[in-house]
Amino acid sequence: MTSSPGRPVAIVAAASALHPVYHGPEATLVMTCVNEVRQAAGVDRVDFTMAGSCDYLAGSPFVFVMNIEGMGAWPPIYESHVEMDGAWALFEAWLRLQVGDVDTALVVGSGRPSVGNQREVFSLQTDPYTMAPLGLDPVSLAGLQARALLEAGIATEADFAAAAGRALPGMDPGDLLAAPYFNDPLRSHDVATPTDGAAAVLLVAGDRVAEFTDTPVWITGMDHRVESHHLGLRDLTRSPSAAAAAAHAGAADGPIDVAELMVVHSPEEIVLRNALGLGADTRINPSGGPFAANPIMATGLMRVVEVARRIASGEARRGLAHASSGPCLQQNLVAVLEGEL
Amino acid sequence: MAAQPERAGLSTVLEYPYTRTTGPVVGAFLGGLGRGRLLGSRIGGRVICPPVEYDPETGHRVEADLVPVGPGGSVAVWTWVREPTARHPFDRPFAFALILLDGADTPFVHAVDAGSAELMSCGMRVTARFADEPAGAITDVVFVPEGSEPGGSPAAEAEPVTTTTHLISLRYSQPLHPHRQRFVDGLRAGRIIGQRSPVSGLVYVPGRGHDQLERVTMGEEHDTAVADRGTVTSFTEITPVQYHGQKETEPYIRASILLDGASAPITGVDVRSIPLARFRVGLRLQAVWRPEDERDTSGFDNWAVGGWEGVFARWEPTGEPDVDSALLEEHVF
Repeated sequence: MTSSPGRPVAIVAAASALHPVYHGPEATLVMTCVNEVRQAAGVDRVDFTMAGSCDYLAGSPFVFVMNIEGMGAWPPIYESHVEMDGAWALFEAWLRLQVGDVDTALVVGSGRPSVGNQREVFSLQTDPYTMAPLGLDPVSLAGLQARALLEAGIATEADFAAAAGRALPGMDPGDLLAAPYFNDPLRSHDVATPTDGAAAVLLVAGDRVAEFTDTPVWITGMDHRVESHHLGLRDLTRSPSAAAAAAHAGAADGPIDVAELMVVHSPEEIVLRNALGLGADTRINPSGGPFAANPIMATGLMRVVEVARRIASGEARRGLAHASSGPCLQQNLVAVLEGEL
Repeated sequence: MAAQPERAGLSTVLEYPYTRTTGPVVGAFLGGLGRGRLLGSRIGGRVICPPVEYDPETGHRVEADLVPVGPGGSVAVWTWVREPTARHPFDRPFAFALILLDGADTPFVHAVDAGSAELMSCGMRVTARFADEPAGAITDVVFVPEGSEPGGSPAAEAEPVTTTTHLISLRYSQPLHPHRQRFVDGLRAGRIIGQRSPVSGLVYVPGRGHDQLERVTMGEEHDTAVADRGTVTSFTEITPVQYHGQKETEPYIRASILLDGASAPITGVDVRSIPLARFRVGLRLQAVWRPEDERDTSGFDNWAVGGWEGVFARWEPTGEPDVDSALLEEHVF
């Protein structure tokens, strides 16, 4: 049961570096972000380093290895990597800290989607026999999910526009609905625009937390669940994996002041609101969410950063960060964060 | 006149075939497509298409009982792809749809060549259109609105497909990183530009845009020129193995050379002008530049550090005394 960690773990510093197009190596982008975290926490060496990125997105083999330069590879470090969003790197680091032999972990997510075509890259995430050769891309798959919501009477196109419009202050949802379709029933504004970027957090376990910060943000629960890759076996209007992850992370154990959801296609917000049981008293994506910035491979970790910032500042006491991977919310991660316990 | 700096972006294509074994269930399914048949698996009272090797409720492995489904079906949900990618089955707008094939209990995601979004609707009837020359892949079938073209005609027996090949092809384009652009511009102008760490003072050639040891970013203010002469710190003789596309026939030297003023050597430097018998660690060398209008910097992209032969015609011994190899031990790579 992942919701009851043996050791308490807190986020003691967080940073992000976002650029519509970053002109430079991904390793340098990572370095700017990691240096900010190090400075904020006043720490030089960490016990464990954990990164999430995607070489297919970068377009060159072993970019994930070159990225280690940005994390500080000398003297030699103890590190690992997932070919996933940095939110899953957070999960692995959090799990690693439970073992008890290391106390500090640096977690990074990074990507430069500006160099390639993410619709083509992420079609390779689908079933290699029956889906990937068709070039089934995330936007088309989100279009199928959107249609399923409309057909089931769960959402309207106006609901999609409202979710997308949250990051566009002053925009009249009616104007959004007047825009042409891109992947019917999705319009271009229903798809979060990819940006280059990186996010980083520093985790500290146990009694050492107080050495680093006066405003720790505790990870009180974290879990992730996955559904079938076989689209025909899923009900696209629901997300049982997000619901299960939230339940096992202990989301319902107290009020949720703020939730940052990895909604990169606007219909996903409707599915996630229902699955996570978020009520009217929860502020959803006050940062604007991925519609304000979608640094692919760091978009999920950014949700954690945004919630942690609000708890550290006292703006919220308890929050939920969500990340997703795969087509139509196939895999979902939920982290529950709290201020001083 | 100096050559114009290259400002064109780097374009690369990452392309290779993934060849996968199919196993008995997917193999029979893909083989069926080649004979104009769609097959589903009957598991726990349900017919699932594409077929699966496991019970979706429990994950337990089962012996799939394959049964024919389709070729007709109804569209459960659809999306109209107005801007197809290069990897889609059509280069014109089309639909992706979840299609409930006749006789199946779960829908199948595939493409519908309908011609116009106005012709698509939930519940509409579609039918399979099979490829004339099957490749043993999911792309051997697409769907069309029922009535627009005849569907497949089931054959008696379908040979299973044992492997299926998916050619992945991804396109990337980006400008040279700013520090790489300044480095390349320097070479075209006859200067070798590195970067000096503001913390350690170490000089890297080419620069990386950061000092990975001291963890500081570096910009144009850290650029510094180094000499076009230096010392061999390491080398190897390459004996060309003959393979398809191999252009080399004679052995040649690849060397690491520590340029005067640099803290780390340039690596993978092609040397053709000095016999192996006279080549040694500690040897002092002078680069001889190609004429400005003949310099080719295309070997330097945002990652690779080879390509020196594009800007240097050859290397010549300077005649200076060798450097003591003990002083070069930290500069091998």
